[in-house]
Amino acid sequence: MSLTKRTAWWIFLVGTLGSLILFLALTIDTHRQVRVLTNADRLTDEVVAGKRVWEKYNCNDCHTILGFGGYYAPDMTKSYKRLGDVGIRERVAKPEVVFSRSWRKMPQQHLSKKEIEDLVVFMKWVNDIDTHDWPPQDSAKMPESSIRKLIAMVGISPGAALFKERGCLACHRIGEVGTDVGPAMDKVGAKYNKETLAEYIIHPKKVNPQSKMPEQPDVKPLEAERIAEFLMGLK
Amino acid sequence: MEYQSQRVAYFYFALALLLFTLQVLLGLWLAVNYFATLPQSLVDVFPFSTARAMHTNLLVLWLLLGFMGATYYIVPAETKSEIYSTKIAYIQLVALALTGVTALIGFLFGWTQGRPLLEIPMPLDFVIVIGALMFLYNIGMTMIKAKNWTVIQGTLLGGLVFLAVMYLFGIPFYPNLTIDWYYWWWVIHLWVEGAWELVAGAIFAFILMKITGVDRAVVEKWLYVEMGLFLFTGIAGTGHHYYWLGAPRYWLWIGGIFSALEPLPILLMVIDTMKHVRHRKLQVANSLVWTYAIGGAFYHLLGAGLFGFAHTLPQINYYTHGSQVTVSHGHLAFFGAYAMLNLMVFYYAMPKLKGLENYADGRGKFGFWTMGSAMFCMGLSFGVAGVLQAYLERVLGMGYMAAQEQMRLWFMVAFVCGLAFLIGVLVTVYDLFFLKPKEESKPVRSAVAQPAR
Repeated sequence: MSLTKRTAWWIFLVGTLGSLILFLALTIDTHRQVRVLTNADRLTDEVVAGKRVWEKYNCNDCHTILGFGGYYAPDMTKSYKRLGDVGIRERVAKPEVVFSRSWRKMPQQHLSKKEIEDLVVFMKWVNDIDTHDWPPQDSAKMPESSIRKLIAMVGISPGAALFKERGCLACHRIGEVGTDVGPAMDKVGAKYNKETLAEYIIHPKKVNPQSKMPEQPDVKPLEAERIAEFLMGLK
Repeated sequence: MEYQSQRVAYFYFALALLLFTLQVLLGLWLAVNYFATLPQSLVDVFPFSTARAMHTNLLVLWLLLGFMGATYYIVPAETKSEIYSTKIAYIQLVALALTGVTALIGFLFGWTQGRPLLEIPMPLDFVIVIGALMFLYNIGMTMIKAKNWTVIQGTLLGGLVFLAVMYLFGIPFYPNLTIDWYYWWWVIHLWVEGAWELVAGAIFAFILMKITGVDRAVVEKWLYVEMGLFLFTGIAGTGHHYYWLGAPRYWLWIGGIFSALEPLPILLMVIDTMKHVRHRKLQVANSLVWTYAIGGAFYHLLGAGLFGFAHTLPQINYYTHGSQVTVSHGHLAFFGAYAMLNLMVFYYAMPKLKGLENYADGRGKFGFWTMGSAMFCMGLSFGVAGVLQAYLERVLGMGYMAAQEQMRLWFMVAFVCGLAFLIGVLVTVYDLFFLKPKEESKPVRSAVAQPAR
């Protein structure tokens, strides 16, 4: 081959500089656009404090966030949507209780109340980053498919939609949908009547003092009734 | 060994080998975490996150120590002069070793910056920066005083400066998570697909030239072309990490196109290596170095090139990003591209530093094949687990832990492969520390071989 050392040097120089200039130009533009894409105006002191909590306890070496980090535990990008305030709070405050039935554990790191609240606000902010609809499992298209699965199993019901929407699947399972943090819901209708079940959904400890389920202040009584109706229909 | 100051390298290599062993032991522990149920009380004091921080930091530390050792070995030979100051070299080694140990113990007590691979807390970052500056000063002064510039030297120094500068982007606290990860990749990606490729390329070119006797002009010409291609595809290729982190959509195009080209320079390197080997002017002296050179080139292509390419396109990456597929690629790529290269340098330089021209290579070959095949098996297990995860969790919408249950078997397989890998590592490390001269009863083939310089 008649490639001279001088030509080789030019290939090196042009290749490197070309790529570098393109990369730096796009970096500047990215900085401009990130303000909008990440809602930087909502990046409050609490959110930043929450990020520091996330780092202080090295959460990122077990969990991924934006898909980066350890692959040992679920991705946290859309954790707020998946678990809500209550779900995140419970898991961080009492992992030994929430994951007592899981074969993989989460460490109890004794976060202060303030730290947990900051972490929740941070997750809420992260939830709204425009990730081009990543991750697929939390994409807007995915709940439809799991709801479709629920409907295929139990038929159309407003309670089924609420069960999904209120994040019940973050702890409970019906058939093959949901998780095993709390008990499965397939036969719960045989254990309680509708009124008790509706009460249980909002104030678990009033019905069963031993219950590990957190209070659900966000669920309205009428919604609880619909969910209870739906669960009664499963038995 | 021609220059007294090259001896410094031996201590860098020795420490690197010990850290490598420790890294693999922690890796096995991580695999256990993946398939076994550990008691809450143990998880509370030694969580997966701590072990992972140790596993990954040990990797970075031992590879960097290997690179530095290699630099201290190569620079005297290239500049035809002694190292500017061996004292600085030793102080720098002790400083880095102490920082490393402090960081590892610190992780156990929760002293961390909490960002994967960059967990080392800020005060220790500054010690590392000082150590790096001492190193660069020492190497730079050696080259400047000798005034014997070569392309290999230039590439090596350029790569090392590039490496040190990129580390700075990992030190600050970024309030915005997206910006944080944007610059995190300036460290991680621009290291492994930029600065480290330059350093590794220069080291590889030096050893290839020494063992094949191919003309410097030819080796250096190819070095330019390969490095040009590495940087052309690698710099803008950083974009393949920017698909889903809250950056503009054009990164899907930039990342996709540039990283699709990333296997090219590696392929060129393999072809070029084979060509040099075919046109070699020297007889095979220590064939183990050859085994590592050729094996490393192919493994580099497999782990970094093919396994990287397999999930780099946005359409695929949407489903595989942040899954065990990444773990599979990570293990094969780091082992193929950088662990193999370092081990090649160790097998080239450590015998010479001990005054052995020819050594028995039976154990070393066993180590090479055991590690190589065990890592391949491990990479495949993680790969199968990853494909399962992508399909079950991301396509079917199965819950995270429900999907992990289906992958559990493959974590056990990965653990068994890991045990085999550990055997390979132990044999290799023992062999490098206690090299035996080749038995004299065999006909000496190296009569034609010129002494390596």
